[in-house]
Amino acid sequence: MRFSIHSLHTRIVVLFAALLVLVQGLALLVVNTTNTQIAKETIAQELGVGERIFLRLLTQQRAQLEQTASLLAAEFGFRQAVASNDRATIQSALANHGARASASVMLLISLDRQVLVDTLHQNSAAQPFDFLHLIRVAEADGKASGIVTIDGGLYQLVVVPVNAPTTIAWVGVGFAIDDKTAEDLKNLAVLDVSFLSRREGGQWRVHASTLSADMRQSILAKISGVAIDLSTELHLEDDIYTVRLVPIDEQSDTKIVAVLQRSLAEGIAPFQRISSAFLILAAVAVLLSVVGSILIAENITRPINALADAARHIQDGDYTQKVNDAQKGEIGALASTFNHMLDGIATREKENLRLAFEDNLTGLPNRAMFHDRLAQALLVARRQGQPLCVMMLDLDRFKHVNDTLGHPVGDLVLAEVALRLRGLLRESDSVARLGGDEFAILLASGEPERASAVAKKVLHSLEAPIMAEGQPIDVGTSIGIVYFPEHGEDANALLRRADIAMYAAKRAKSGFATYEPQLDEGRQDQLTLLGELRRAIEQNELVLYYQPKFHFATNTATGMEALIRWQHPMRGNVSPADFIPFAEQTGNIRMITRWAIDAAIAQCGRWIVAGHPLRISINISARDLLDKELVSYFAAKLTQYGVPPELICAELTESALMEDPAHATETLGALHRLGIKLSMDDYGTGYSSLAYIKDLSLDELKIDRAFVSGMSHDAQSAAIVHSTIELGHRLGMIVVAEGVETGVELGALKHFGCDYAQGYYVSRPMKAEAVIQWLIDQRAVALAIGA
Amino acid sequence: MNGIINERRQFLLRTCIGVTFIACFAVFPAMAASLTVNVNDLAGLPLRDAVVSVVAKAGTHVPAHAPRTTEIEQKDREFIPYVTVVQTGTQVTFPNRDALLHHVYSFSPAKSFEIKLYSGEPPRGVLFDKAGIVTIGCNIHDWMLGYIQVVDTPYFAKTGADGRVVINDIVAGEFAVAVWHPTQRAPTIAKNLKIESRETAAIVLALDAVAPKKRFKPPLDSVRYK
Repeated sequence: MRFSIHSLHTRIVVLFAALLVLVQGLALLVVNTTNTQIAKETIAQELGVGERIFLRLLTQQRAQLEQTASLLAAEFGFRQAVASNDRATIQSALANHGARASASVMLLISLDRQVLVDTLHQNSAAQPFDFLHLIRVAEADGKASGIVTIDGGLYQLVVVPVNAPTTIAWVGVGFAIDDKTAEDLKNLAVLDVSFLSRREGGQWRVHASTLSADMRQSILAKISGVAIDLSTELHLEDDIYTVRLVPIDEQSDTKIVAVLQRSLAEGIAPFQRISSAFLILAAVAVLLSVVGSILIAENITRPINALADAARHIQDGDYTQKVNDAQKGEIGALASTFNHMLDGIATREKENLRLAFEDNLTGLPNRAMFHDRLAQALLVARRQGQPLCVMMLDLDRFKHVNDTLGHPVGDLVLAEVALRLRGLLRESDSVARLGGDEFAILLASGEPERASAVAKKVLHSLEAPIMAEGQPIDVGTSIGIVYFPEHGEDANALLRRADIAMYAAKRAKSGFATYEPQLDEGRQDQLTLLGELRRAIEQNELVLYYQPKFHFATNTATGMEALIRWQHPMRGNVSPADFIPFAEQTGNIRMITRWAIDAAIAQCGRWIVAGHPLRISINISARDLLDKELVSYFAAKLTQYGVPPELICAELTESALMEDPAHATETLGALHRLGIKLSMDDYGTGYSSLAYIKDLSLDELKIDRAFVSGMSHDAQSAAIVHSTIELGHRLGMIVVAEGVETGVELGALKHFGCDYAQGYYVSRPMKAEAVIQWLIDQRAVALAIGA
Repeated sequence: MNGIINERRQFLLRTCIGVTFIACFAVFPAMAASLTVNVNDLAGLPLRDAVVSVVAKAGTHVPAHAPRTTEIEQKDREFIPYVTVVQTGTQVTFPNRDALLHHVYSFSPAKSFEIKLYSGEPPRGVLFDKAGIVTIGCNIHDWMLGYIQVVDTPYFAKTGADGRVVINDIVAGEFAVAVWHPTQRAPTIAKNLKIESRETAAIVLALDAVAPKKRFKPPLDSVRYK
């Protein structure tokens, strides 16, 4: 991480180094360019200076030659010798003066331009003098000088007249321009010097030079490209030279030039030392900056890395690692803030953890924690081969408490339940509130005996009313029990099946129930059935059966209870008990009820038309009471089939009425106003208070079959039936007895003054088509027995 | 080479036009004739300091003259006169009129001499006994230049500013008339002339010559030299 290209550390170092390298590189470029430029300018200047020095030297040398010549020409004895043509004397005088002035050649030229004496050619006969232009100039000016070639050598030659006092001859004095001359010039001007000449139409030739033989050849090869009096760059023998061509003499046919040159490499050499020094300096600077930036980066990134490490500890849930905040400045402040944040996070997490695993209301562990503990316990149990027991329970009628007495009371009830549960369990057991009125218990042992004992203790402890805000509240419970490993391998499966068992217990009103596989299967079955329900309605698989209500007073059946049947194409007839409860739970009951209302009222209409105005009872579920459209649906159907409302009776179970009394009251009131009769089904099982029933505008009470069937061998049941009938009558209601299966029962009921009887003894439920015939048959029987 | 050719061509040209005689012959008396010569340059202007000499040819007898003397002064650091003509056998003295020394010399074949540093009257005169041109100079002052033409005849004269000479008392006979000037570019060819007694002859001679160039003379009172 530290050495990744993305790390702050690396980026700082790279940025610093790159910037410095860039700046130094640019500086080096500028320095080098400038140096080369300066070197070139310097060389050009040096060449200019060299040229002036060189021309000055030529001038001085000429003056020296002129002086020598003039002195000689003015010497009386010499003139005398010339006048007298004393050759030996002339020769010696020339030699003498030539030696004195270090001249290379001394000449005596006659007036007719013949070289009489020549120190270079002592004994030769007189030759014509080649350089007549010099004589011409000397005639006019008294002296003349020029650069000439003699025997292929280059000479600076001065010619002056010998006057006695008119001109009687000419004296020529010359210095050879040779390699030594060039060297002398080089020593003065620090330039390479070459002397070249070219005859008209001929080739350049080098007469003298400071250069090597090879360089002379190079110069010859390139000289024609060099302009006069301008500095020109020439590439000679692996080096670049700045070259300047200085014309030093030009006669009609011969051009003589001096070539001054300076090596660019030599000129640049001092600057290259500067560049080298700069390069070393730059390298040192880059190195220092890299070291410096590494140190700075270290200084910056070390605390940052420490913070990052600390943050990783926090990520892993370790809040104990504090960051060193001793450093001053921003980093120290950051570290300090970071530590405060750390403390804050630790505190809040502790609180969150508490909230996450504890139920705030009861102080019991919540569902998550219970799940956790269960999972832990399962691990241990699995390892040790021990069984475990899990119980799930909820409170009966808790919703009623909440709705009628308010949530604060509900909360008090839950807290008290929690207290009681906690009080009757061992320390090693766990009890948790899963949510709502649902609790769960994990027993440390998996013995069924103990589980039953605990279940009974729980039931018992909740039998005593709970005092809340001064009033006693009864809460019952149903408990579902499951065992590990018998009923499931994991927490989810166990809890789900405990839930199933709990509902089984609730249905059976048995207090508690242990899970059995068939419960689960039945449930699965029902779920499948639910999926098929919609299809069932659409395809008319549902059908209504009618069970007569026998009217004691008229000795005939004046009403029918419509009972729903599902004629499943694969399963045959399916009992309502197998799909109605689950249709209620899933909200599908509304659809079924509406279907039943439609079918029953339609049938009622058909019987009216047939001359049999029978009152039809239709079962309404508690859920249906929540349907705001229910009343208007009834009204619409009554109008549609032309049925008077008093021929329709809505039957509701006592428990359905008790579940949501507020809604029930409202809806029932509306139905009552519509003119529909209202009946309470299964009366006697729902602990309903008479005061409540009184307010519901009920027209009919149906005594639960359990009391009716117990009548013949149980005096109490008979008493309940008898008193219920009387109570119903006192409240202005018709009383119907359900589940009448024997003639004895029928007789007893008639004796008690019951208004209607319903049951197998009267008739099993039948198809609508069979009803008319049954009525006719019954009438015949009644007539026969004279009842 | 071209230069040489040119020079020769010019030389020939000059020789052709070298001397032109425009002579007016009159009958000379048997005795004592007179000759007038006008010397012009090529532009036709009178030429000063030209020397005209009339030399008797063989057969013509010219009476001898007694030896004569003459002088050439050095005055104001110049030879005065610039041109002197003398008959052979003439003694010439070189009096120094300057307040400084002179060293008069000549290397001319006609007369080579020197009078080393002196002032005032020189120790002796110089005898010019051989016909010819003698160029004289001063070894101290290079610009000092003078000419002496030594002629072997009594009949000679030097032109003045008008370029004319008149030579009298010439005996009758055959003569060669020669003219010379210090700046002439080429020697002239003498003109043969027969002179009768009492004749008054006049000739015009043209010469390719110019007035002598003034030579630089450093002023005495200044140290500014050219």
